[in-house]
Amino acid sequence: MSISNKILKLIRKSEKLSIGMQLSPAMFWIVFFLLIPLGILVIYSFWEMVGTRLIPVWDLRNYVDVFTRVGGMYIRLFVKSLAMSALVTVGSIALAYPVAYFVSLRIEKYKYTWLILLMGPYLVCWVILVLGWKMVIGYSGLLNYLGQLLGLISEPMSWMWNNWWAVVFILIMGWAPWLVLPMFVSLEKIDKSLLEAAADLGAKPMKRFLRITLPLSSPGLLVATFFVLIPTFGEFVTPALAGGSRGVMYGNAIDASFTSMMAWPFGSALSIFLMIISLIVATILIRIVGLEKLMESL
Amino acid sequence: MLRYIFRDIGEKGFKFYFFLFIAVIYLPLVLLVVFSFNDSILMGFPWRGFTLRWWEQFLHNPTALGVVKNSFIVASVAAVVSTALGLLAAFVLVRHIFRGKNLITYSIMLPMLFPGIVVGISILIFLRSVLNIKLSLFTIMIGHILFSLPYVTLILMARLIGFDRSLEEAAYDLGASEFTTFRRITLPLIMPGIFVALFIAFTISLEDVVIAHFLAGAQATIPVFVYGQLRRWSGLPMVMAISAFMIMIMAVLLIISLISARRRY
Repeated sequence: MSISNKILKLIRKSEKLSIGMQLSPAMFWIVFFLLIPLGILVIYSFWEMVGTRLIPVWDLRNYVDVFTRVGGMYIRLFVKSLAMSALVTVGSIALAYPVAYFVSLRIEKYKYTWLILLMGPYLVCWVILVLGWKMVIGYSGLLNYLGQLLGLISEPMSWMWNNWWAVVFILIMGWAPWLVLPMFVSLEKIDKSLLEAAADLGAKPMKRFLRITLPLSSPGLLVATFFVLIPTFGEFVTPALAGGSRGVMYGNAIDASFTSMMAWPFGSALSIFLMIISLIVATILIRIVGLEKLMESL
Repeated sequence: MLRYIFRDIGEKGFKFYFFLFIAVIYLPLVLLVVFSFNDSILMGFPWRGFTLRWWEQFLHNPTALGVVKNSFIVASVAAVVSTALGLLAAFVLVRHIFRGKNLITYSIMLPMLFPGIVVGISILIFLRSVLNIKLSLFTIMIGHILFSLPYVTLILMARLIGFDRSLEEAAYDLGASEFTTFRRITLPLIMPGIFVALFIAFTISLEDVVIAHFLAGAQATIPVFVYGQLRRWSGLPMVMAISAFMIMIMAVLLIISLISARRRY
């Protein structure tokens, strides 16, 4: 009796050990290269930098600076970036939803082939995508060229490049292909007999869409929001290349304070502020969607 | 009658939108590839004739070629390491119940929840000011492994959840050892998932500019190099050739996944 108990205990112990051993590499990476660095970021946000030396002063000056430096420029930039991110999210979902709907409910053969084809442009890195869009909407891009060729415009339209509008447009067009997938997944899950039943009961197509398809595909919409919103908050590549001086986003301020300004503590405070907002949004979205739904959409 | 005409227009409009969408999202990439052969020092329209000059410049430029090599080294190492880490973790997270499991699942998902810029910066200041490590290709790999870990783990977990464990039990019953069972039953069955995970991690690393921008030292990857050139708007025609090269790699990866999808669905 006692021997078998001991063996049982030993087995349990070795199971625990093997669980620990299998998890430790991944957890090491998370702790050592994410959690500890984030902790240091938090610590530095209370410090100060004189020249290239970091001095532990432990005050909140950097956080006050986020709100007050240069007449509140940074906080206005934050609000502007938030608005741009929201616009990008709404725009890219609006563009991608009909496509997901079409693939799920209208295409019968080779659905997955079409899906992979749709995701293709997302596989290209942002920098190259921005360069590609410059070929379309830039000063010597396709639209200006065609416009002049057809005599619609007398000189290139300069409003299309180097402003916040170009940044939002490129981000929308860049994200849209990727968003088809999560929305497709939740549209696929809808029981098509519900639509037939509604049709039998006399519901018009528009009503069927608003009362059945749209509410049942809402998890996909939330997952899509999750995919776009958080990376767009911290975006700095597209604004740096296509935004000019008026299209700068909050991410550019963070980037500058680490790469060109050598203002690490202030940059840390800017990052922490961004992180807290992102975490709040992420938590809300995960609460609504659930981790399982997020997993299914991958 | 009118109703049916309207519905027909609606259906046709849908189809039109679908193909228009595909055309528009591919338009910038096609233009970029075509105009990398344009005989003009300026980027963009009009077309001034065909030339291979920019491609030659790219293929004879040791810096550019080195950058391409760096990208592939970083992406391969990052893909293999993160898939290995993710596979070990996914097995435990799917097959065992233990205290703190949710906490661990969530913490592996964490890199996905933070904006890439914050992840990049915090690793940068940790490596530079605490560990005093010089930036190199190795530091880019560290960042990319971290960043692809949640995606890889989620893909493998999804694959393992749909795994029929009675096959393994049957193997044990027939006297197979744990290792044999793993090698002959488990591994072949999850291989497709492993390939998908490697593919995703490789692509994430190859296309990332945000994390690599902060963690790259003197040696850059392709996106970081292109970003640097574009910010100074210098060496543009050659940058177009490099970008076209990247787009072609993407096309090859896309065709590979299309073929494997055709076989499965």
